[in-house]
Amino acid sequence: MRSVLCYGDSNTHGQVPGGTPLDRYGPAERWPGVMARELGAGWHVIEEGLSGRTTVRDDPIEGAHKNGRTYLRPCLQSHTVLDLVIIMLGTNDLKARFNQPASEVAMAMGCLVYDIKELKPGPGGGVPEIMIVSPPPMLDDIKEWWSIFAGAPEKSRQLALEFEIIADSLEVHFFDAGSVVTCDPLDGFHINGQAHASLGRALAREVEAIGWPDEK
Amino acid sequence: MPDMRFAPPNPLRIADRASGLNAVSVRGYNERLVLSLLLQSKDITRLEIGERTGLSAQTVSVIVRSLEQEGLIAKGEAQRGRVGPPTVPLSLNPEGAYSVGISVGHRQVEVVLVDFVGSIRSHAVLPFSAAAQDTNHPQFMSAIAKAIAGLPRHLHSRIAGIGLALPGDEVELELTPKAARERFDALQEEVEREIGYPVYVQNDITAAAGGESMFGVARHLSDYLFFYLGARLHSRLVLNHQIYNTTGAVSFDVGILRLEQEIIKQGRQTSELWERGADWPSFGEAEIAWQRELVGQMKSSIAALKQFVPIASVVLSSYAPQAVCRAICRELEQAMPGISAIAGNIERSPKAVGAAGLPFSSRFMVE
Repeated sequence: MRSVLCYGDSNTHGQVPGGTPLDRYGPAERWPGVMARELGAGWHVIEEGLSGRTTVRDDPIEGAHKNGRTYLRPCLQSHTVLDLVIIMLGTNDLKARFNQPASEVAMAMGCLVYDIKELKPGPGGGVPEIMIVSPPPMLDDIKEWWSIFAGAPEKSRQLALEFEIIADSLEVHFFDAGSVVTCDPLDGFHINGQAHASLGRALAREVEAIGWPDEK
Repeated sequence: MPDMRFAPPNPLRIADRASGLNAVSVRGYNERLVLSLLLQSKDITRLEIGERTGLSAQTVSVIVRSLEQEGLIAKGEAQRGRVGPPTVPLSLNPEGAYSVGISVGHRQVEVVLVDFVGSIRSHAVLPFSAAAQDTNHPQFMSAIAKAIAGLPRHLHSRIAGIGLALPGDEVELELTPKAARERFDALQEEVEREIGYPVYVQNDITAAAGGESMFGVARHLSDYLFFYLGARLHSRLVLNHQIYNTTGAVSFDVGILRLEQEIIKQGRQTSELWERGADWPSFGEAEIAWQRELVGQMKSSIAALKQFVPIASVVLSSYAPQAVCRAICRELEQAMPGISAIAGNIERSPKAVGAAGLPFSSRFMVE
């Protein structure tokens, strides 16, 4: 049995576009659930999606617990042994309060990769496979969120390239979620049920394409 | 001292988003390793690439992604096996790169345009013009320009370069028009200047052997004795995928010139002998006698070599019709049990196709 940790924000949590924080897609509809079904019985899929999660930043408004870096270590250790860690973060780092360019968000993704490599939660105390997923770009119309995310849609379109550069230089897997899904126009930055299904299927194919030798 | 982990990222090889081949002049060794492997085997998975190169899954992932973006490799249809997850086969994209190959013989010049897997996209034969003594005649440059112009404009940036196969055999050089040797020496520079692509030069027989190793029947052979049947019979030794190229290698007068002499003795026409891609009529007794002599020479070359290296495979390459080469191979196999003789499958212009492989090997492959 292989294990994969899906580490993300509201779009991994399954928050419904245009809904309240309490509106969440069901376990089978969320992309980790779809991916689990696609991968089949050989895989244990662990969901770790928190709405508002950033890569490395304490959120002065939503709280320090939104910091993806501080939670990553206990999270990895809780779920070890992990064969694969998929990280899809970055959108929340683009909030105006953080004032960060896309390249800094990518650097922060790099931090998470280094942390995983240091902690070695993989088989035999080694480094697991790591896959950076760039989130789908935000739409230009982000409704009542325009001030919180001022300037973010433009930056969000640069994330895929910046993340790929980091993935290349750290030699980890990379997937651009924007190549298969778009955000829902209801709020402009969450993905809907259909997108969860597409993303889950696409990521299952990416996971398989890594190539996994037969387990002893 | 800053923490160097957080210095600006230094991507391994992020593909250039412009179309066309990446401008990087030196490709990483690992990237070349993956391309070389794909040239040898079609339809292999990332897992197999990792197993055969010793590269980690993550490194393979990065390299495959950038080669895919660059258009050099392409994903096939996912294959669902009875057990296990579906696998996605990877192959070189034939349209990923192109190359022009030129071979200069004593009677004619051949120009081919090949794609990334060695398929000939265009082919032209120019007779050697004895009138143009002092210059590489303009026809020659226009043939190269024409081969390139035959490719749609947007693909021109995918031309890896031009390969030039030049004769090195003393006897065959004697047969070429006057002052040809001096002109050959200037060719590289002239073509580079006038056509504007990098030109790679190699001995023609070595180029033909390289062509069979790269695109032809010898793709899976690491050790073999290579014969080239041209005007004369030439040979090269290939050990561990390495072609031994020696200046002043001997050739033997049992080639097509010899056959021509025999046929002329019978008072028959010989023009078919020098045509490309045409079948030969039966030349009767003359051909049988020639073939016996040719196989005899091949036998003694193999026997001499066997004192030093165990040789089990022989490849015979030629522009002569495949049927003729296969008949020679059959006779050689009968005469030498334990030897497997294979007729090359680069028809028409093995030297020119081999020359076209030069830009690919210097830009994309490991030695």
